[in-house]
Amino acid sequence: MGTLILSNVARSFGDVVAVRDVSFTVPAGATFGLLGPNGAGKTTTMRMILGILVPDGGTVTWDGAPVDYEIRRRFGYLPEERGLYGKLRVREQIAYFGRLHGIIPPDDAKRAAAWIERLGLGAYADRPCAELSKGNQQKVQIACAALHGPELLVLDEPFSGLDPVNAETLLELLRGLQRGGATLILSSHQMWQLEDLCESFGVIAGGTVRAGGTLPELRASWPTRIVEVEPVSDALRDVLDATPGAKRLPQGDRPTLAYEVPSDADTAGLLRRLVAAGDVTRFERVEPSLRDIYLRAIGAAA
Amino acid sequence: MNATAVVFNAEFKRRITSRPYLVATVIGALSVILLALLPKLFGSALGPDANHIILVGDPRLTSVAAKLLAKDFTVAARRTALGGTPDSAYLEAHGRVAAVAVLGRDGERLRVLIYARDPSAFGGAFGRDLAPLQIAFSTGMSVADIQRHAVVAVEVRGVGGRFSNASAANAAKGIAYLFIILLYVAILLNAQAIMASVAEEKTSRIAELLVATIDPTQLLTAKVLASAATGVIQLAVWIAAGGAAGGAIVGIFGESSSSSVPLDLGPIALPPGEILTLVAFFLVGFVQYAVLYAAAASLINRTEDLGAVAGPLVAPVVLGFALAQFGVLAPNSAAVAIFSQIPLLAPFVMFARIAVASVPAWQIVLSLVVNLTVAVALAWLSGKIYRVGLLLYGRPPSFAQVMKILRT
Repeated sequence: MGTLILSNVARSFGDVVAVRDVSFTVPAGATFGLLGPNGAGKTTTMRMILGILVPDGGTVTWDGAPVDYEIRRRFGYLPEERGLYGKLRVREQIAYFGRLHGIIPPDDAKRAAAWIERLGLGAYADRPCAELSKGNQQKVQIACAALHGPELLVLDEPFSGLDPVNAETLLELLRGLQRGGATLILSSHQMWQLEDLCESFGVIAGGTVRAGGTLPELRASWPTRIVEVEPVSDALRDVLDATPGAKRLPQGDRPTLAYEVPSDADTAGLLRRLVAAGDVTRFERVEPSLRDIYLRAIGAAA
Repeated sequence: MNATAVVFNAEFKRRITSRPYLVATVIGALSVILLALLPKLFGSALGPDANHIILVGDPRLTSVAAKLLAKDFTVAARRTALGGTPDSAYLEAHGRVAAVAVLGRDGERLRVLIYARDPSAFGGAFGRDLAPLQIAFSTGMSVADIQRHAVVAVEVRGVGGRFSNASAANAAKGIAYLFIILLYVAILLNAQAIMASVAEEKTSRIAELLVATIDPTQLLTAKVLASAATGVIQLAVWIAAGGAAGGAIVGIFGESSSSSVPLDLGPIALPPGEILTLVAFFLVGFVQYAVLYAAAASLINRTEDLGAVAGPLVAPVVLGFALAQFGVLAPNSAAVAIFSQIPLLAPFVMFARIAVASVPAWQIVLSLVVNLTVAVALAWLSGKIYRVGLLLYGRPPSFAQVMKILRT
């Protein structure tokens, strides 16, 4: 198992700069979430990690060495645009990708059978892939990517197109790979799934990393916190309005007073002042969610 | 296992068990057998006997004429008079003869009127054979004397030892034509199979998954090798079918097919050297076309676009095929010799030359070296296009963009 390091990686296509300057490190056995809007450079970054694209600048190393074909055979990849040989049977398809990654027969067939069992594809094992539903095809692709027990598994939007049940199956599967010590890199628009799986994150926009680190680190660097207070009363509102740096947020239909306060605000002191001013039935200091951090990082929310 | 070997095995298995390949191989074999057998079958059973005739006229005249015509025609019957103008029914009623020739004398002139099913089949040989009779009428000499004086001792010797006689040379031409067709079909079919395979991987997005594991050049190499192997097998099946048909002709008709069948496919008529040359030029030609087809296929986004990119690539195959016909007719002309060195055309033209003439060894070696070098260069250039093209989606690149890819 190795550590993946991207240092100042860049890649252009003609006049279009897809990745301007991306750097991050994924320690051995860690799970890294790559976030960013469409066209941010996530897929290009992933392709450079896998050596599909050669960076115009910067380096990608695995365990201190440039990623060559020998190393790449120990990686697994689930691209955003899925593909299968339509006429090839499920069992043959999975075994073929196993062999491509260095699994020697008859081990390829044994592992394919195990993955078919694990993914509940037994009824389809000898059917051509084109006859499978989209969800089942996706399972086959995941098996193709993970059959050889990759040291690094790169999954580009792995949850897209999956129904909640299959998404949960995939989550369980990825947790299993985590427990097995695999290093994972995922991109997804499903923030909650990434928040659940990943230990660290990188937010890419415009071809650069806008924010990166573990969730506590990202939260620590967040400049504000939300304070929610109930019930709604003039006395409590007066206290909150008088708090330095506090900014009232739209109340909407909720019976809650919501204020954005600086992250270093003395919330314990604020609570004491509120209790002194009137009855407080609820006081909560809300940590920013991954979604909040993401939106702020890409500049869609201030 | 090496990734190239994995792809080669998978591609080979996929191709050799694919329905289109099996159908093409079987149909090709049947076509070769039919090509070999049909002339014999048509000649003996299906149609009228092309050289069977009825002579009509004075018995003394038709008797002499029958002897003169014997070397080119079989006189099925002699009659003194016709009941009317002969028609098809008349010909059918007289043992499926091809023509009725009415002979008569008008002073010093021999008059011949032929009623034939196929008028183009009579004339030259008929007139030549009866020339002594005409001379006899004009000069008063006997036909026997004229024949004796008219004998010219002509001996034809093959130069360079390629063929010992005209019959062998004609048989070789037949083989050359057939093999050019086989080469044409095999190259086209198998190169297009690669094209379809690349297009499938590109359009179904498997390509991205593959190039994450294996270098695109290795991938392309494995595909070309697998398809070349299946192509050689296909050729071998077709040649074996032809050989079997040739053997069957000898067995059934009790004679070498070369004397009567235009496409001689008997085992004796297929020297190992020619087969090896055929395979060598098939492989060289196949690689040249296969890599070009693969590169073109890597640039498309929809299988519907295959035809558009394949069109221009078919042109040199057709041109090579057409030039090879001239190669058979004039194997040592300067133009043919030059075409037999030009990449993409040479596989067809050089093979045609080798089949019918004694081509200087240096020309064969030069052609192989030139074409092999160009095949490697094309593979390298196509590999560059393929590497980029596989991941290129959206609008197909313009010619200028392709040139830019090649320069990078």
